[in-house]
Amino acid sequence: MANIAAQRIKREFKEVIKSEEVAKCAIKVELVNDNYTELKGEIAGPPDTPYEGGNFILEIKVPETYPFNPPKVRFITKIWHPNISSVTGAICLDILKDQWAAAMTLRTVLLSLQALLSAAEPDDPQDAVVAKQFKENAEMFHLTACHWTNIYAGGPSVNKDFDDKIKKLVEMGVDEHEARVALSSYNWDMERATEQLFS
Amino acid sequence: MEATLKSLSQDADSDMECSDNDCLDEYDYYNTADDNDIEQIDPSKTDPEYFEYECLTEEQVERLLNETVEILSNNLQITPSLAKVLLHSHGWAVTIIATKYRGNPDHLLISSKVKPSTTPLPVSGCSRYLTCPVCVTPQIIEKFFSLSCLHLFCKDCWTMHFEVQISQGISTAISCMARDCEVLAPEDFVLKHLSRSNMREKYQQYTFQDYVKSHPELRFCPGPNCQVVIRSREPKAKRSICCQCKTIFCFKCGMDYHAPTDCHIIKKWLTKCADDSETANYISAHTKDCPNCHICIEKNGGCNHMQCYNCKYDFCWMCLGDWKAHGSEYYECSRYKENPNIAHESVHVQAREALKKYLHYYERWENHSKSLKLEAHTLEKLKSRINQKVMSGLGTWIDWQYLFTAAGLLAKCRYTLQYTYPYAYYMEVGPRKELFEYQQAQLEAEIENLSWKIERAETTDRGDLENQMDIAEKRRTTLLKDFLDV
Ligand SMILES: [Zn+2]
Ligand SMILES: [Zn+2]
Ligand SMILES: [Zn+2]
Ligand SMILES: [Zn+2]
Ligand SMILES: [Zn+2]
Ligand SMILES: [Zn+2]
Repeated sequence: MANIAAQRIKREFKEVIKSEEVAKCAIKVELVNDNYTELKGEIAGPPDTPYEGGNFILEIKVPETYPFNPPKVRFITKIWHPNISSVTGAICLDILKDQWAAAMTLRTVLLSLQALLSAAEPDDPQDAVVAKQFKENAEMFHLTACHWTNIYAGGPSVNKDFDDKIKKLVEMGVDEHEARVALSSYNWDMERATEQLFS
Repeated sequence: MEATLKSLSQDADSDMECSDNDCLDEYDYYNTADDNDIEQIDPSKTDPEYFEYECLTEEQVERLLNETVEILSNNLQITPSLAKVLLHSHGWAVTIIATKYRGNPDHLLISSKVKPSTTPLPVSGCSRYLTCPVCVTPQIIEKFFSLSCLHLFCKDCWTMHFEVQISQGISTAISCMARDCEVLAPEDFVLKHLSRSNMREKYQQYTFQDYVKSHPELRFCPGPNCQVVIRSREPKAKRSICCQCKTIFCFKCGMDYHAPTDCHIIKKWLTKCADDSETANYISAHTKDCPNCHICIEKNGGCNHMQCYNCKYDFCWMCLGDWKAHGSEYYECSRYKENPNIAHESVHVQAREALKKYLHYYERWENHSKSLKLEAHTLEKLKSRINQKVMSGLGTWIDWQYLFTAAGLLAKCRYTLQYTYPYAYYMEVGPRKELFEYQQAQLEAEIENLSWKIERAETTDRGDLENQMDIAEKRRTTLLKDFLDV
């Protein structure tokens, strides 16, 4: 690994650990290997959002050319958000692409991701299905995102109705996550979700 | 350059001039030679495809750009590097930039990302050492540099930054390394930090490409491995021919020339064809059954007038109708007859009708494109046929030259005809479409006549063929005059 990249990551690692956000348990980073090429990030779901109470794990890969190129970041924790793929966890965020600046840091990235959870950009979507629901059925989006936070990120709000619907599909032999994706995509309409799963 | 310019202005009337004297051996519809002695008719008025442009080499373009840079940098008393940033972001419009500068220089410099939007604060303190925010290494202050925004970074980091950006193909859009700072790095600043010669070369190559692309009068020739840049003061969707590689393309969009269809429609059409390629594949077969005796016939020439080798029945390859009916005024093979009650039909019927309509146009589009390719093959056959004739004492090569000229004209007419199909597909039903399809049918009929005659020319008597060429080209120009709208 290039000298500058390692030097920077070491420094930034310390910066994050000392930051006030860590003190408030809002962000966190951990080393995955000794040569600073991969890290594990964690952000807390911001208050007054469907992600509140959840903890979201991030995969952070540091390229050779860091910090002249941005780190490669994706969500490991499954999440229902217009700018994050519900399948791969890939993120659509300008500073992780062409708006990256070499003077930005891991802390900037984690805080920007947290801000993205508070304010989605449905016109620049990563997940078209989620973005459509976000724009056309705000309440359904909110409920679905809360449910995903509850199931995958340890969020507090349990949705009995959703859980029951998934249970029914699981009893029919459908994988639990697949059932959740189908129901979420069809606004929790059992009939259409079933049709899609069995077609 | 003069000669190239002249060759473009092909004059409809020059065809007549040539038909009765011996200039035929250099008689080419695409490159009508020297027209100095032809009566002075303004080709921009008579030829719907007339287009003035010139082919430039890299050095000529560089000279042209540098002249503009010099004018602006003298005019505004700024460095040539900054002048380039301004010109690049303003489509090389010197007067507009100069006016804006006199009106509100700060506004211009900020919006062009030459100056930061907020007044920068100079580094305070008098320490001899600074820590670079990118490499986090403390170094003496002399090693630090900044753009107009005064964001300081060490020399090595600037170099790395530029090398990484250039290796990703970025050149004129490289900005400062600070967060949320949009100030662009001008050429002199970048070059000052690049020492490796291959990096400097790449950078200069990329900026050159960016400058040409941002210049409204310049276009790279789209031909493979061609370095030529075409310049026209009138950037329209007209036919440009590269003087180096002979690629023919639309000046505006750089795709294959597509008159009478416009750039937007042809793009839509080509995307549609690519998307629907599966559906359309089944029709691209090379064989069909004779509608009279049902024997299998293979199409091996460009002509759509087919004659069954078995029963000698004359029919049309496209619609399988009797060819005799095609010769009349009521030639309707090219026209698609829309169902007048379609709006009242079910969604299902409408979808089927839409597909039928698309296939009608696609089939003809594809067929003419294939015919053009087959005609190249016909030309080869023509050559060997002429060779045989000449060997057996039937005339000289010069006597037969007119056949090649005719084949060239045929290709040109068929090319235009091919591009009339996307045009017609997107046209709204109405009298204008009726007129268009009437003219299209007329052109199509004359092209098939010409194709038939060329494939079967047996004598050196060229009167009949030249007459046919004249009619076909007249039909083509008439259609373009009425419908080519650029
Ligand atoms: Zn540095
Ligand atoms: Zn800056
Ligand atoms: Zn060329
Ligand atoms: Zn075009
Ligand atoms: Zn037959
Ligand atoms: Zn026909």
